[in-house]
Amino acid sequence: MTTLLKAIVAAVAGLAIGLWATRAMLANGGPFNSVTIGAWSVATKGGATDADPYTRASLARSGEVPLALGEGLQLVARVDDAGRPLNPRCVYRVGPRAPTARYWTLGVVDSKGFPIENPAGRYVLRSSEILRKAGGEFSIYVSATAHSGNWLPVGAPGAFALVLRLYDSPLGATIGGIDKAAAPEIAREGCA
Amino acid sequence: MNPRAALAEAAFYSAGALILGALAHFALVLSIPLVATHDAYNRLAEIGPKDSTLAVPRAGPHEGLLAYADPAVANALCFFDLRKGPIRVRAPLGRAAFASLSFHSQRGAVFYALTDRAATHGMMEALIATPKQLRAIIAQDDEDNPSEDLRIASPTLQGFVLARIFSELPSLYAEAEAQAKSLSCAPEPPAK
Repeated sequence: MTTLLKAIVAAVAGLAIGLWATRAMLANGGPFNSVTIGAWSVATKGGATDADPYTRASLARSGEVPLALGEGLQLVARVDDAGRPLNPRCVYRVGPRAPTARYWTLGVVDSKGFPIENPAGRYVLRSSEILRKAGGEFSIYVSATAHSGNWLPVGAPGAFALVLRLYDSPLGATIGGIDKAAAPEIAREGCA
Repeated sequence: MNPRAALAEAAFYSAGALILGALAHFALVLSIPLVATHDAYNRLAEIGPKDSTLAVPRAGPHEGLLAYADPAVANALCFFDLRKGPIRVRAPLGRAAFASLSFHSQRGAVFYALTDRAATHGMMEALIATPKQLRAIIAQDDEDNPSEDLRIASPTLQGFVLARIFSELPSLYAEAEAQAKSLSCAPEPPAK
């Protein structure tokens, strides 16, 4: 009897460990799928047919149609340059440059990858609509309250992520060799 | 029971739990894509009938259809079924500054993608076929009149084509949406 009981406890614990490990490993796109550039991570194999099982399982759960390598590249940041999780009570300055691409957009999403409601109704800023300095450098301010210049609002008090989508970027082919200096910095300017 | 025997027993059950956990983990990761009911393919299939071009609702806080979709990009898709023959995909180019097509198998994996750089005569065009249909088409090719078709072999009989049309400015989104909807996937009439 005690042997059976011990076996059952061990089996339940084992299954719980398996479930927990699966959940944890699939949470951010799978462990074998990303290259990090500064605060950004890039899903290198997105929806490719040779994606690993973790990537495929993660995509099946998130319900995402990733950009194909020929179309562009998506970079996601959940932390700032110092490695601190993005906090909706802080102001972040993103810039001054972005990797080479025909166009890019910078958006704010929640932990599941969906835009967050905000009074300004602005969920994304395009490379073609922002204000720039003479040399093409830019600063985008990500904050909950309105900011002068290029302002990208953060709607809800919860955790958020920044998504940089590069369209028609030559980076796709040389993903391992992205220069850290090419990716925008995410600098925390202060917190309320 | 002496302490050493108790320790050995605990180690035995812990090892069993870990092995079971690992097995459960691998089984889960491999089976999730097969049983997922909320992956991109199924989410898109809910938009409308599979025999027409469907506009994907714009990404927004109340529109949780596809995760990580870009609110600056208008998407439309059509499902294809190669059982009755090859499918010709056409996407006319409008004024949009960036446009692309990605070809997905039923599991959502991308098997081909092209951008407006590959367009000819103001049109992104491709012929999707199974490898067998493709061989038949090639066998009928006229050597003096080489075909200009871009031919793509699909790994699965069914799948979908997604058009992404970038809006350069917020005010151009409606136009991008109209351009996205002009995507068409029509059965290719059999060659004479």
